[in-house]
Amino acid sequence: MIRLNLVLLLGVLVSAFYLVHIQYGSRQLYTALDRSKSQTLKLDAEHEQLVVQKRAQAASARVQQLATRELQMRQVTPGITEYVSLPDATATEARP
Amino acid sequence: MSRRHNADRGASRSINYSASPLLASKTPMWRSKFIVAALAVAFAALAGRAAYVQVFGNDFFQRQGEVRFARTLELPANRGRVLDRNGLILASSVVAQGIWAIPEDVDKANSKLSELAELLEMPLTDLKKRLENEDKTFVWVKRQVDEPVAKQIAALAIEGIYQRREYKREYPEGEAAAHVVGFTNVEDRGQEGVELAFNQQLSGKNGSRRVIKDRLGRVVEDVRDVIPPLDGPDLQLSIDSKVQYFAYQKVREAVLSNKARAGSAVVLDAVTGEVLALANYPSFDPNRRRNLTGEQLRNRALTDSFEPGSIMKPLIAAMALERGMVKPTTPIQTAPGRIQIGGSTISDSHQHGVLTVNEIIQKSSNVGTVKMAMQMQPREMWETFAQAGFGQKPQLPFPGVVSGRLRPYASWRPIEQATMSYGYGLSASLFQLAHAYTIFARDGELIPISMLKNEAPADGVRVFSEETARAVRQMLQMAATTGGTAPQAQTMGYSVGGKTGTARKQEGKGYAQNKYRAFFVGLAPVESPRIVVAVMIDEPTNGAYYGGVVAGPVFSQTVQQTLRILGVQPDMSVKPQIVTTFVEESF
Repeated sequence: MIRLNLVLLLGVLVSAFYLVHIQYGSRQLYTALDRSKSQTLKLDAEHEQLVVQKRAQAASARVQQLATRELQMRQVTPGITEYVSLPDATATEARP
Repeated sequence: MSRRHNADRGASRSINYSASPLLASKTPMWRSKFIVAALAVAFAALAGRAAYVQVFGNDFFQRQGEVRFARTLELPANRGRVLDRNGLILASSVVAQGIWAIPEDVDKANSKLSELAELLEMPLTDLKKRLENEDKTFVWVKRQVDEPVAKQIAALAIEGIYQRREYKREYPEGEAAAHVVGFTNVEDRGQEGVELAFNQQLSGKNGSRRVIKDRLGRVVEDVRDVIPPLDGPDLQLSIDSKVQYFAYQKVREAVLSNKARAGSAVVLDAVTGEVLALANYPSFDPNRRRNLTGEQLRNRALTDSFEPGSIMKPLIAAMALERGMVKPTTPIQTAPGRIQIGGSTISDSHQHGVLTVNEIIQKSSNVGTVKMAMQMQPREMWETFAQAGFGQKPQLPFPGVVSGRLRPYASWRPIEQATMSYGYGLSASLFQLAHAYTIFARDGELIPISMLKNEAPADGVRVFSEETARAVRQMLQMAATTGGTAPQAQTMGYSVGGKTGTARKQEGKGYAQNKYRAFFVGLAPVESPRIVVAVMIDEPTNGAYYGGVVAGPVFSQTVQQTLRILGVQPDMSVKPQIVTTFVEESF
């Protein structure tokens, strides 16, 4: 009888320790998950920042300034544009 | 001996803890019982307390416990982006850091403070001033610091200086689209323009989660379901950022070269009723929070109303045509360039003699217009003006949109009816003028205007018949040719039509002598108009002040570029400047 009780007690102890261990593991994983999630947010934010930066670099004001100053480009006029019509019936207008 | 005796006697009244008489305790019996009783009471008290904690006061203790390790985290929603019609970003929120401090914890002698001041672009004295008051436990040092700078600040690791994540709105188009897009405050809430008008929609809804944090501040468990944040949806405007930039640039150049006070331009898509550009100068850079005050914030095209002057004349001509009172070729005597109405004299700036209706608009004759207008009832004129949107707020979700002024016809005196026919005695914003001209562009229909992208052709309300609108377009085209008031409005490749306006500015009760507003409102191409463009230059002081000279060139260039961007083929033959002979390329 005593032996059975001891075995059961041991069983309870092992289970209890295992539970604690698993709980610990789960919290570790949860923390890791949480960290990854915030990392995602951070990267998302960084991505957005880069997209905005890229857009700012391509803003009309800057493009025009660079085109005229550094590349000596000039404004397009119909006088220097050759308009072509696409043979496709749906496309009546062709972009220059 | 007596000791022994005593011990024996004591043994009989106390508990024997041991068989050996040598170890016999002398403790009296009552003491043992007392201890046992006291222990029993203590255990009972513990049991009582346990019952209280776990059963009766359970809620309270649960809550208190939770307060000590559970935290509610706010999950901020991202503010939606503002996009132009092609999906290009006009405004977007990026993460920035708010730098804050606990003044008491900051060592004022720390040499790193000067580095911090340098990174924050603020004088060291200012920084120290902020940290002066040691009674405070929270002081903002600087808000919305860009992430790279914030990282460098974090690397300095100054004690007592902390960071807090927040959002900063970026406006890549800068001052060109500033009035349309508007700006937000440090709390990321809209303050002006679209940011204010659509604030609710852009804001989104913050979420939250309740978590348990461990000793190190790491999240180890969610207590309840996470309420996810609802990001604000992106808002796509009808604005084309290229057209917007171009219009802004041209207005700016015109204001600077004419030494004017201000200028505005509006570009409308005559097919869909979309606003393609809405530019004002002086403008401001919404990315620099410092200069977000003062006059330059005003969206003049919408918030400033003024007397439209000659811009109204085509409406009178259209009314006369519509009622069958005249034909485009009907001659009207305008000599001697003056007309008496109720004791007042209305005169033309040049004498013209007999003019056809076409020529009256082309040469912008006040006398001719007044002669047509005086044959109409005030009610008819009022109705048409009201139908064209005068005296009514444009249906635009914008802060500060004005309705202009159109007095009820019952109170019009004859002289007022006469002056109103050439645009004095009533007022409108530049936007209203552009809107009114969609009637001519859309074959007699006034179309609703939209700030948001909407590619379907707009359904309009008929004001004039198709023939009338076409006839007026011919007049407008004549006005924009040699012999008209604005040959400067012509542009290469595209036929344009439009009307100039030069109005004296009101000052107090009368008109100022040398203060003018010059405008031009027109459409292109004349045969099937695609855009309506309105330009206003306020107080040009560099010699020229006529609408045709000052505002005409802005119109011309804006039309040219806008139609090109929209992919409209030129409707007029252009002398090509392209070398068409093929050159054989060699590698």
